[in-house]
Amino acid sequence: MLVLGIETSCDETAAALVADGRTVLSNIIANQLDLHCKYGGVVPEIAARRHTELIGYVINEALDVGGRTLRDVEAVAVTAKQGLVGSLLVGVAAAKTLSYTLRVPLIGVHHIEGHIFANLLSNPEIPLPHVCLTVSGGHTLLVYVRGYCQYELLGGTVDDAAGEAFDKIAKFLDLGFPGGPVIDRLATRGNRKAFAFPRPLLKSRTYYFSFSGLKTAIINAFKHQLARGEALPLEDIAASFQEAVVDVLVAKTLRAARQREVSAVSVTGGVSANSRLREVFADACHKEGIKVYFPALSLCTDNAAMVAAAGHARLRRGQVDDLSLDVIPNVPLEVQHAG
Amino acid sequence: MRVLGMDTSGYANAIGLVDGERVLGDFVFETRNESLAKIMTNVDCVLKEAGLGLEDIEGFGVGLGPGSWTGIRIGVTVGKMLAYSTGKPVRGVSTLEALAYGARDCHKLICSIVDAGAGGTIYAAFYRSGNHKIHQVGDYYVGDPASLAELIKESAVLVAKDVKKYQSVIAQRLKSNTIEAVESRPSGAAVALLAAARLEKGEHDDTLALAPLYLKEATARAFVNKYAKRAQAAQQG
Repeated sequence: MLVLGIETSCDETAAALVADGRTVLSNIIANQLDLHCKYGGVVPEIAARRHTELIGYVINEALDVGGRTLRDVEAVAVTAKQGLVGSLLVGVAAAKTLSYTLRVPLIGVHHIEGHIFANLLSNPEIPLPHVCLTVSGGHTLLVYVRGYCQYELLGGTVDDAAGEAFDKIAKFLDLGFPGGPVIDRLATRGNRKAFAFPRPLLKSRTYYFSFSGLKTAIINAFKHQLARGEALPLEDIAASFQEAVVDVLVAKTLRAARQREVSAVSVTGGVSANSRLREVFADACHKEGIKVYFPALSLCTDNAAMVAAAGHARLRRGQVDDLSLDVIPNVPLEVQHAG
Repeated sequence: MRVLGMDTSGYANAIGLVDGERVLGDFVFETRNESLAKIMTNVDCVLKEAGLGLEDIEGFGVGLGPGSWTGIRIGVTVGKMLAYSTGKPVRGVSTLEALAYGARDCHKLICSIVDAGAGGTIYAAFYRSGNHKIHQVGDYYVGDPASLAELIKESAVLVAKDVKKYQSVIAQRLKSNTIEAVESRPSGAAVALLAAARLEKGEHDDTLALAPLYLKEATARAFVNKYAKRAQAAQQG
């Protein structure tokens, strides 16, 4: 079963071919960073325009690289839920048209479900049920994955996403956009204990996260150093900030794993590429006898292979959409109980 | 040549079917904000109504705008993917030209107008007719209706949706009663006719490169209003 995946929920125009829900034949991602960085964030209108320009080329490239033609495509899966409305609709319009002309099933996928499948695609051996942390520029979400396409939301951020905190700190320190990779690099040369930044909601028994206060603490610390005329050790700030975020993410995920008595956790989304996050997760999970899984680096950030894999799983369960499929910019991951 | 034409630049899916210069069908589906949800169902409905299948269509015409930015992105994306996946050619047509085409037998200056959404701004263009054809004169206009009047130096016919409101402003400004008005809205058949004429001469667009007609001035205005502060803040730190 060959599935064409399409993902345009934010600022990446992506298409991919995935065979049988596991073999990635192609995974094409056109990012638009150059267009958005001067605004310090994603501008929805610019993103939607760029998707419209690129969508055909990206789909064509996915077929070329995968060595297949449109006639070989047996289903089209597309991110239809969660994202920027103008961006989502370009991908969905393209997917609907292809589903119609090729007479193949259409499957609308939730963006977070896509991220969950990024990990299943990289590590098919992940046991079910497990706890999945999706952590990116737009999301920080803990989900109990009961089975394929069966989820229970445990908690999420009440303000900024973890990746957003990286972006905002990087912007404040004038390090560029996106902030994740650059802070990760700087932090390797810094002292993680130089600043005792807060670990928001760490002691809370809920699975909610909050990162906006942490951001303020860092800005205050920076200004304080500046006022006292002391040196500004960017590496130390980056390392201490990153450590605070990582501590909270790891502690909450492991608490959820213990409470749900699962033997494995998966970490997915753009921030799952962070080297310190991977390191701390590996150590902490090892101590508790829990296995931890990360997607291949190429599947961490937004991509369409994960959408194709999620679409394949839904299709196998008979969950297909018709031509009236519409976009829903803001909707929680569908909670489906065992069935 | 059998051509399917569509225009989604307003709050409607306008879809038409032509065979050369003959109109086989011309439909307007009122959609408000559901143009994406309905577009493929509407295309299917038009084909079935004409008793045709997708394989009978030899080319596609797409209204590129100007109009609702979201709307034209849907039309352009659907149009290019229809052409790409069927291997048939596609031709983009200005929505203003498609509007003016409806008045092609009128021998006055034709001015077609599209509401640009917020703040009373309009998009407009001028056309002259002859021999059942029209050609654009001058550049596209983005601004308010009163200033558009200053560009009209002769008797003219306005073509637009809700045309009366433009007619009264412009006629008053020109102190003239030689401004006629034709109530009209984007038509899928007009887009298809214009596209068919060009496709028959081999004048098709590069399928994957097909892009909406946003009109730069309007984009610049919107961006200055909405994003200039953000860009400034980003630059400052």
